[in-house]
Amino acid sequence: MKFKIEGLTVYFPYEYIYPEQYQYMLELKRALDAKGHCLLEMPTGTGKTVTLLSLITSYQLANPAGKLIYCTRTVHEMEKVLDELRRLHAYQEKEIGKEAAKILALGLSSRKNLCIHPVVSGEGSRESVDAGCRKLTASWVRLAAVDNPNIETCDFFENYEKKGADAMLPQGVYTLHELRNFGREKGWCPYFLARHMIQFANIVVYNYQYMLDPKVAGIISRELEKECIVVFDEAHNIDNVCIEALSVNIRQQTLDGATRNLNKISQVIEKFKSTDANRLRQEYSRLVEGLAQRGELPLADQWLANPALPDDILKEAVPGNIRRAEHFVAFLKRLVQYIKGRLHTDVVESEGPMSFLNSLSRECSIDQKALRFCYDRLTSLLETLEITDTDEFLHIQAVCDFGTLIGTYQRGFAIIIEPYDERMPNIPDPVLQLSCLDASLAIKPVFERFQSVVITSGTLSPLDLYPRLLSFNPVIFKSFTMTLTRDCLCPMILTRGSDQLPVSTKFDMRSDPGVVRNYGRLLLEMVAAVPDGVVCFFVSYSYMDGIINSWNEMGILQEVMQHKLVFIETQDVVETTLALDNYRRACDCGRGAVFFSVARGKVAEGIDFDKHYGRLVIMYGIPFQYTLSRILRARLEYLRETFQIKENDFLTFDAVRQAAQCVGRVIRSKADYGMMIFADKRYNRHDKRSKLPGWIQTHLRDAHLNLSTDMSLHIAREFLRKMAQPYDKKGQGANATLLSQSDLERMEQESMQT
Amino acid sequence: MGPEDDGVMPMEEDGDLDAEEQGRDLEAWERAYAEDRSWESLTEDASGLLLAVDVTQQQRQARRRYAASKGPRIQRGIIRYLFVICDFSRAAAEEDFKPSRMGIVANCVEAFVREFFDQNPLSHLGLIVIRSGVAKRLTDLSGSPEAHIRALRANLECSGDASIQNALDLARGYLSSIPTYGHREILFLYSALSTCDPGDIMDSINACKKANIRCSVVGLSAEIYICKTLCERTGGIYSVAISESHLKELVLEHAPPPPAIAEAAVASLVRMGFPTRGAEGAVAICACHREVKLGGGYTCPRCKGRVCELPTECHVCGLTLVSSPHLARSYHHLFPVPAFEEVAVTLHPSGKNDALRLCYGCQQELPVAGNKSVAGVRLECPRCKQHFCFDCDVYIHESLHNCPGCESLIK
Repeated sequence: MKFKIEGLTVYFPYEYIYPEQYQYMLELKRALDAKGHCLLEMPTGTGKTVTLLSLITSYQLANPAGKLIYCTRTVHEMEKVLDELRRLHAYQEKEIGKEAAKILALGLSSRKNLCIHPVVSGEGSRESVDAGCRKLTASWVRLAAVDNPNIETCDFFENYEKKGADAMLPQGVYTLHELRNFGREKGWCPYFLARHMIQFANIVVYNYQYMLDPKVAGIISRELEKECIVVFDEAHNIDNVCIEALSVNIRQQTLDGATRNLNKISQVIEKFKSTDANRLRQEYSRLVEGLAQRGELPLADQWLANPALPDDILKEAVPGNIRRAEHFVAFLKRLVQYIKGRLHTDVVESEGPMSFLNSLSRECSIDQKALRFCYDRLTSLLETLEITDTDEFLHIQAVCDFGTLIGTYQRGFAIIIEPYDERMPNIPDPVLQLSCLDASLAIKPVFERFQSVVITSGTLSPLDLYPRLLSFNPVIFKSFTMTLTRDCLCPMILTRGSDQLPVSTKFDMRSDPGVVRNYGRLLLEMVAAVPDGVVCFFVSYSYMDGIINSWNEMGILQEVMQHKLVFIETQDVVETTLALDNYRRACDCGRGAVFFSVARGKVAEGIDFDKHYGRLVIMYGIPFQYTLSRILRARLEYLRETFQIKENDFLTFDAVRQAAQCVGRVIRSKADYGMMIFADKRYNRHDKRSKLPGWIQTHLRDAHLNLSTDMSLHIAREFLRKMAQPYDKKGQGANATLLSQSDLERMEQESMQT
Repeated sequence: MGPEDDGVMPMEEDGDLDAEEQGRDLEAWERAYAEDRSWESLTEDASGLLLAVDVTQQQRQARRRYAASKGPRIQRGIIRYLFVICDFSRAAAEEDFKPSRMGIVANCVEAFVREFFDQNPLSHLGLIVIRSGVAKRLTDLSGSPEAHIRALRANLECSGDASIQNALDLARGYLSSIPTYGHREILFLYSALSTCDPGDIMDSINACKKANIRCSVVGLSAEIYICKTLCERTGGIYSVAISESHLKELVLEHAPPPPAIAEAAVASLVRMGFPTRGAEGAVAICACHREVKLGGGYTCPRCKGRVCELPTECHVCGLTLVSSPHLARSYHHLFPVPAFEEVAVTLHPSGKNDALRLCYGCQQELPVAGNKSVAGVRLECPRCKQHFCFDCDVYIHESLHNCPGCESLIK
């Protein structure tokens, strides 16, 4: 259908549109008009992706806007976005003709997902594919291959390079799979082609990292223009992604590896000195001129430019004491030695970057300025030395990354050295963590660089906290609720067990056998009343292990098994995948199954339990973070001092958004239905409840608060029967959930009149 | 800050509870009244007296069911072979329906069996129960309602798991041997929420589809994915009961013959015998029970064998034996009375259309547009253009199966 929103013609590939999608478009358009950032919350299952794509592409058609950069968390989501886009594009072509609707949209991912080289693409990890690729495509390798035909190169890359600027993707929408196919057909390398095509594309879909991680963003996102519209989808954890992008962990193994790397580098330097001393001299003179000069190197050899670094540093000359290769190696050796010394400690140490820098310069006379150049200097050195197997040099890269970060930022970071894991105090496992405390650091360049940044997800409540955490000023922030033809959501807050005693995972209550039994009885009653799939989330792995053990001893688990099969998420990815697979099969064949999972785990974040795979989700307890963790405490302190966010507010916010994320797994579309039980007495409190997203709160009726097991069982039975009845999908009158083109035209006219 | 410290704001908790008390939801018994808001339909006249409640809306609501079934005449299978499968697993002992799910199911099946034979005199029905994961046949496909009911009443106990696959396979085994003109159906009354199968249930479902067996399920507690799949694949209906009365309604919906699937029912001639009833006092050995019976019974016109009840197949020569009233009673499914349409009429003061004042069926006064003295809807038969009241409409379509207006036109 085709309709107008405040004068903008929007092409929407479906016959009908949900009212909230229309509202969403309206707000999004206003934000784009205002050239500002926005924060939009809309429940999952309302077609957020197509709404976003539809409005933004229509906006691009009408106005000379920049690219749309769509950031997703996983490759799977990326493919979904591109599929949706293809449908939209087909519709637009039909409406306005092939020429007018021309777009180029592509997904970009790592070499691992795009490589089509028969040997390299078979490598297991991302790093090894990267290194394998580099071995075949580095400029010096190719140079050598010209003279010596025995040296192997990548045909796909060679073909692509030969074509030069003529290597272009025709208009269209390309998923990763299609990029690979196109590459095979033409004999071009899809990875480099995709990277090259970014500057010509209208829509680019890629991972968060490519935008947020300074190491990657430098290569990929450097040439994007200011007018770009950046979308972060499923962005409820964006602050954590930002923090992770700027955090480094260094363990004993890292340091050992780094020492090995350094020795190897020294050897290579010695070799070069005797054979090709000229190269090292050239590098030296280049470094005098400054890092920015590196831009002239061939495309394939650029590794990174840290956008988090201020521009003046890039232009500045590299400090004299690390310009020469052997000096730099000595410098790094000192740094590694120093960190090694720091790791040899029996007590936990925690300090700010400033004091760390002070002691560093005092003890091994390493100054801050040289540290700042660490990462770039290493990159340059590895290039000069023609080292291609970069996957072996990850350790020294981590150390250099650490050095650069600590040299650059004096605020918003904490260095924490822990001699052993808190949970296993007998096993020494020293770790030095450079932890970023301020999520706004990584995302700041994005906000500054691009005109409009859209942050959207199903769970962004409370909305006012995100702008503070990420320190930006959204022009629009809004939460939309879902219009439903029937109440297909049934959230409940269970505070008491069947014996009327309160249940909670609060620290002093969680091991109480009464609570454990009540939780078990709850599960037992529910599996007997709910068909097909039931999902349970626990607050942590250790808690889950404990409670499942007790249930087993009490015989509750055996009784549960009479009704449904039991599957458990473990920390092992393969095992969990297998369990999930079998869980789905049990649901499909009518046997019914229960899945035990952990909030903040992989399952809670990425796996959908829609339709019969999840008719009920039970959230046992409130998934607070491990509050004794030093990193968390450092972050809380920082948040309080810098952003005036109270510790408790942040903890609750974080816990409740995780809980909401978990329970949100069961509803993936409007035709679906599901129940959610929050089993903890603390959810009944206003401060917890009010932080749940709007679409849960509107369905949380007063009668569904403060329940005991038998009451919730009664509600569940009634709800399931009600949902099994046939219903009218379209809805009528005031609760119309589908708007047709004529409805929208009428609405538009009405709004014109008023 | 301690671990998961949340000893904050104890004040708020109290305030919260108060708010909850005030806005608390209605009690269960209040809800029924709150939802239909019957008091709002009360109206008063000028002097403040209550007027009779306008029943028009209610009647329209009730008629919606006919309106939905209105359409071109459809082919229906009137010779049906149906297995009713009752799930008497552990879940049937639940007491959310009083006295228990099993009791209610037994009552419903009893009512259904009677209704089924009333509406489909040419059809056959058998009973299967699932208990402890095993499906057991209680009665073979036959035409006697009493035998089925007796067998079911004698078998009321429940235990163990339920298995849809076992029941399907058993029923399919019996149904696959019946002649092709018959319509094969399975009706589940399913209490459990899961099924414990020995093999892949999808195989059994596909086999049923291949054998043209229409499977329907009436669930007692919630929607189960596999049941939904089963019904979708085999063209059956899946419904879930909300209450005891709703359950009965849903089960009885399966009594009228379903529309025939074109490829499943090839129109063919069926050889049938119309046996004569034996004289009172004549002694004969019946072929069905192998007993000497005094009087009654029917004699097969082809082989002169004796059977006790109709309809049945002759035990000697295998001829289908029916009586002509049986055929006649099945007839109305094929040629239903057309659905009546609601019309509004204003009476001429001249008395020109005075005949429309009264219902053609019961001679009661019909409602007239602009006059509130008689409430309700006025319905017109599209064929004979006679007008009827709501009650006659129900009687004509549900019991009589003949329109008095059309019938009198024939003469």
